[in-house]
Amino acid sequence: MSTFVKIEKNIYIDSLETLFATTVLNDQDGVNMGYIGMCNSTFRSVIEDIGLMTPEIAECTENDYVIVADADSEAAFEAAVEVVNKNMEVKAGGNKVAEYDTQEAALAAHDEVNLVHIAVPGDCALEEAKKALNAGKHICVFSNNVPFEDEREMKELAREKGLLCMGPDCGVANINGAALVLSSITNRGPFGVVGASGTGIQHVAAIIHEGGSGVTQTIGVGGNDLKDPIGGISMLMGLDALNEDPNTKYIVVISRKPGKKTLPVICEKLKSINKPKVVLFMGCEREIVEATGSVWAENLDDCGIKALQLIGVDYDLGDDAELDAIAKKAIEGMAPEQKYLRGGYSGGTYMDEAMHAMYDEIGDVWSNCPLNKDFQLADSYKSVENTVIDYGEEEFTLGRPHPAIDPSIRKPAVLREASDPEVAVICLDYILTPPGHPDPVGYLVPDIKEAQEMAAKRGGKLVFISSVLGTTADIQDIRKQEQELRDAGVIVCKSNAKAAKLAAKIIRLKGERDNG
Amino acid sequence: MANTSKIQDLFNSELIVLNVGPKSFSTALEDQGYKTVQVNWKPIAGGDAEMQKLLGILGY
Repeated sequence: MSTFVKIEKNIYIDSLETLFATTVLNDQDGVNMGYIGMCNSTFRSVIEDIGLMTPEIAECTENDYVIVADADSEAAFEAAVEVVNKNMEVKAGGNKVAEYDTQEAALAAHDEVNLVHIAVPGDCALEEAKKALNAGKHICVFSNNVPFEDEREMKELAREKGLLCMGPDCGVANINGAALVLSSITNRGPFGVVGASGTGIQHVAAIIHEGGSGVTQTIGVGGNDLKDPIGGISMLMGLDALNEDPNTKYIVVISRKPGKKTLPVICEKLKSINKPKVVLFMGCEREIVEATGSVWAENLDDCGIKALQLIGVDYDLGDDAELDAIAKKAIEGMAPEQKYLRGGYSGGTYMDEAMHAMYDEIGDVWSNCPLNKDFQLADSYKSVENTVIDYGEEEFTLGRPHPAIDPSIRKPAVLREASDPEVAVICLDYILTPPGHPDPVGYLVPDIKEAQEMAAKRGGKLVFISSVLGTTADIQDIRKQEQELRDAGVIVCKSNAKAAKLAAKIIRLKGERDNG
Repeated sequence: MANTSKIQDLFNSELIVLNVGPKSFSTALEDQGYKTVQVNWKPIAGGDAEMQKLLGILGY
């Protein structure tokens, strides 16, 4: 095995493209470990860490594009590079998109643009947002780490101009049927959704889709919008817009409990809206929500179910007795030492939900972001007892895309957790999104199978439990993804909370069986 | 109540998105059948630190 390098001088390929290319490179036969990127300091530090630095790369500048891999032979490397290049050409060639270097040039040539999507570093987002708003365009800002004062400034400018500002840190928005940022593709229908949690919006919109209905618009306002420094500017505008929209017959609102000063303002707005509405304010008292004339929702599943009830659809997610029966069967064949669960999540909303669902069965679980700080993991790569990990956290995503886009972040965890003979259950969520992996389940199936075989060789049985967030309209198709999981022997639950609950039930039941 | 006429116009128009940032986002919209225009936003010349930030945003 040797290290092979390909360098292209003075070209620029954006980081998301190079990260996808890295995934493709590592999937090729004969490539043991490879990495692709612009030769900046982050790239250098990564390839030094993985032992792929060469004198040739050391002389490159940040304007150089580098493909490097440890491969079985030069022929294997060349063949892999060809596949990577072909893949990039297909992606670029399939779309005849007009391309520009600056927003000013693009808008001067394309006045027909009505929405500007911004995904630049957080401290550059305001500048790009102002350019768009001053040109009269609505904005959707994916960038995170935007300072509060910048967020407030862009939202005040948007309000002054009567324009919609989604985000910053907007993970999900669905406008006129288009799935923006990391949204699922959802049928159109009478529900307008406005929310601060991207996963939350996607979850409820997917239930609405699954229930045979759909959404007019989903408006992601970003996780900070309902905090007091921002005061819910985008939420208030979103509510007004959905109230005025004749196609929106029902409104769904999803957020953590708004800030102290913001909560009464939002409640006053909700009171003024005469359309039927379901409100999920996680952590907020039920009476406060009901006093606004809204239907109170307890959690994400409940929010989707209650939304569908407004149109007379009874959506059944199953009950606890069903989970108990599955758990009872699942522990058959497990070895005595198998007593813990491990969870790998693609983001904070779902991991929080899972930890709450598990708590009733087995109490607190260890995590890199625990509910109870006494259960903070010392090392996110070393699970102990019952552990769940958010792979969207910085220690995993620094220099890489979010796990909802790139499943390779979570891949090593499957065999790492499975190599612990005390592990009985592994829980994995899957989130489908247009810019994401075309087959996130298929990508992990070989590892899942290997993990199951490892446990079987030890004389035990490793149970995998999953849920898939997405729709039948998604390119990856939720039904296909679920079937791939079932074919691999994975228990598929109807929601993330149900999957977590089942995992915890198995652990509790296993403990009861072993300890009499 | 805020004047939402411009937002209503958006809801009732053909959506045309200008994407400022990684091209995968415009590709994903094109694949769904929507028109897009792409700005290949680059860090300022010599911006090694900027590049890191660009990578940083991808872990939203």
